[in-house]
Amino acid sequence: MTTPSFPRRPILAGIAALAALVAAPALAAPAIGKPAPAFSAVDSNGKTRTLAEFRGKTVVLEWTNEGCPYVQKHYNGGAMQSLQKRAAGDGVVWLSVISSAPGKQGYKTAAQANAWKTASGAAPSAILLDPKGDVGRAYGAKTTPHMYVVNPAGTLVYMGGIDDKNSADPASLKGATNFVVAALDDLKAGRAVARPVSAPYGCSVKY
Amino acid sequence: MNLRFAGLLLALVALVAPAAQAAPVDTGHLKAELIAQTQAIAPGQTIQVALRQEIDKGWHTYWRNPGDSGEATKIAWTLPAGWSAGDFVWQPPEPQPAGPLVNYGYSGEVILPMTLTAPANAPVGQTVTLKAAAAFLVCEEICIPEDALLELTLTVQAQAAQPSGRWAAPIARALEAAPRKADLTATFENNDQGLRLAVTGAPLTDADLAGSYFFPFDGAVIDHAAPQAIERGPQGLTLGLTPSYAFQGPEPPQVMAGVLKAGDAYYEIEAQAGPLSPEASGLGPPAARSGGLSAAGLGLPLALAFAVLGGLILNLMPCVFPILAMKAASLAGHAHEAQGARRQGLAFLAGVLVTFLALAGALIAAQAAGAAVGWGFQLQSPPVVAALCLLMLAVALNLSGVFEIGTSLQGVGSGLASRGGLAGAFFTGVLAVVVAAPCTAPFMAPALGWALTQPAAAALLVFAALGIGFAAPFVAVAFAPGLLAKLPRPGPWMDHLRKVLAFPMYGAAAWLLWVLTLQAGPMGQARLLAAAIVLALAAWLYGLSQGRSQALALRGGAAVLGALAVLSALIPAYQSAAIAGPEASGAVAELPYEPYSAQRLAELRAQGTPVFVNFTAAWCVTCQVNEQVALAREGVAEALAETGAVYLKGDWTRKDEVIAAELARHGRAGVPLYLVYDRAGAEPVILPQILTEGLVVRALEAAAG
Repeated sequence: MTTPSFPRRPILAGIAALAALVAAPALAAPAIGKPAPAFSAVDSNGKTRTLAEFRGKTVVLEWTNEGCPYVQKHYNGGAMQSLQKRAAGDGVVWLSVISSAPGKQGYKTAAQANAWKTASGAAPSAILLDPKGDVGRAYGAKTTPHMYVVNPAGTLVYMGGIDDKNSADPASLKGATNFVVAALDDLKAGRAVARPVSAPYGCSVKY
Repeated sequence: MNLRFAGLLLALVALVAPAAQAAPVDTGHLKAELIAQTQAIAPGQTIQVALRQEIDKGWHTYWRNPGDSGEATKIAWTLPAGWSAGDFVWQPPEPQPAGPLVNYGYSGEVILPMTLTAPANAPVGQTVTLKAAAAFLVCEEICIPEDALLELTLTVQAQAAQPSGRWAAPIARALEAAPRKADLTATFENNDQGLRLAVTGAPLTDADLAGSYFFPFDGAVIDHAAPQAIERGPQGLTLGLTPSYAFQGPEPPQVMAGVLKAGDAYYEIEAQAGPLSPEASGLGPPAARSGGLSAAGLGLPLALAFAVLGGLILNLMPCVFPILAMKAASLAGHAHEAQGARRQGLAFLAGVLVTFLALAGALIAAQAAGAAVGWGFQLQSPPVVAALCLLMLAVALNLSGVFEIGTSLQGVGSGLASRGGLAGAFFTGVLAVVVAAPCTAPFMAPALGWALTQPAAAALLVFAALGIGFAAPFVAVAFAPGLLAKLPRPGPWMDHLRKVLAFPMYGAAAWLLWVLTLQAGPMGQARLLAAAIVLALAAWLYGLSQGRSQALALRGGAAVLGALAVLSALIPAYQSAAIAGPEASGAVAELPYEPYSAQRLAELRAQGTPVFVNFTAAWCVTCQVNEQVALAREGVAEALAETGAVYLKGDWTRKDEVIAAELARHGRAGVPLYLVYDRAGAEPVILPQILTEGLVVRALEAAAG
């Protein structure tokens, strides 16, 4: 009964092709106006951070990847850093999240993350290390940068792109409408966030 | 005169001058160039030009909506005053998974056409060099923005330029392949049933909608990574989408524009918020397409080749091999009688061909009459199974030496070239085909599946090819004296071989008894066992008579008993076994499964659950072997548990129109058929007919992503 199974190879190739087509389970989609997904992650100083500890403060989550040209657009000219400083000045907690898996672009150990923070002059409240991608998946983070704003009550009030210019070209910063700035301004003024969602752009998060 | 001369001169210039020209620029991970459909352009003329990318293997560039990440390819022209260029005519994108994300883009070669219009005052006779800056985001695992400054040189001529040159055809093909606007009506609704997009219109009526997909122009309307459930309707389809960001905002979208992939066609649609057309749903998901080797697209030559190969493999099946081995061995002693051997070979071939064609004819006639039948259909009828069982028993008893057919084995040589020998060979061929029917060999399935969807002539050809492949080894032995000489001289070994080979035949008889038990229950089994014993008695009596000169009484008794056995096995009709269908194929392992139903499958696919479907039958040897050597293994059970895949089993032991239709959909005429549906719920992969544990496990893992 052992008959030659000559067709196996092309079929295996077919299976492989199919495997390539099959996406992993879709990311969770957090919702505007609903409690932001809770998380617990270790930061670059070895401290475990949770969303709950920032209750009462506005929290910005920024997905980042140093090697991504779109992230570089915002860091190389100091735009992101000044945004972080401005937020800190307003008492806003800024969490930069690295969800790159080990070995993938943007992955950083705690020491590397701190070195990068120093070198780039970045000023987040903390850099969360999420090598397993748990925080990223909970938020449905797709790109770097991908931005989320949580109000003091823990409600998600903004998610999407950092601005309206899907480009890695630094020249595109000029004249761009920064949605995070707009959301923070709305919160500061006690208004509802006028533009709570936008399409994120950038490199894919390297889960 | 002057004008004509000028024209001639211009023509000459056009011949000498460099034609539409562009130097490809290597930007690092792709080569980019501007190409044109014409070599020249006339004042006021609009021609087709294109940005061509040759992307490195493994790297991608992006569609107008890049999906979850990435950035669309851009171009910015620097044109002299009065010249203008249109937007890209985007090619249909490919969904490109990246971890949990899905992007829309291109790989390999992509041509993005656009129009280029010269002003009415363009200087005739001059060449113009047009410049454009192209920006690409090229991604593999990582993304790199790359730029290229490109040039296109065209000659301005008085007459309108006609398409010519190397790129005329590729650009025409790209324009042809681009999604087109069609007479389609599209609406969408976002409510507690999710976001649904309904599209109706003539192009979708009766279209193959497998693999349909909606690519939105706006990156914020749907979750690109979520599978899109397809439901067909009388006049179109409804896609189940997962709403994204835009629907969370204060002003949810009122329009969703994009490209609908319907089967292999791409249409540009603009869906309005509003009630869904009832004509766009109600018919369930489309027939899946095969990812592996299947009948779809199998042409006649390939089907014939598969049929020959399948026929060859049939020789090795356990119910066939003993008969053929004995017949071949009987030739051995008579290698010197080359002519007689050849005749026997031909008679055998004739027997095989006649039987295959008769079966094919019956099958085609039954199909034409509207019956849902396929290969192996004979075995769905209990009387046929009972008859085959008795036949196997008779052959086994013969091999055991209980009785002889015609001349005895020892005397077979004298009759080799005789009529009796030829008839014997012919009927050996008939017998071999009859007993081979349960064994659908690999390669046979696609060929037969193809054949049964073809006109009768093509179908008969395929069956004939199957017969030729089946008969080939025996005929080869008969025709090649060299081979015959290699067979050992006859001797006592032949008698031993014959008696040993009786046992696979007893096994085949026992197996058919089991099949009948599943079909007709314990009462049927008791009846067949009784018939078998009476037949054995008849055979013994007949054998006894063969040793004597005056044995009319014995022969008469044998004939009466034999007839009694056969008749009692065939008449009256068997009652259907009371046991539940799915039990029928005898679950060999504790592998948890659910009975197959189209509804259950559709449900699971809509839920995004991977599904393993096994179409099997008790009478299908290959199916049973696969159950034992692959499906009953622990690895498969673990893979099912790990991937959360659901195992559906469709039992074809008895006639089942639903299963026959499902087999036909996948281009098959018989079992086994193994399908693996992935989470996306779209087109299943068809596994080979011979399974291994690893193969099933890998397929399941692939399907789970």
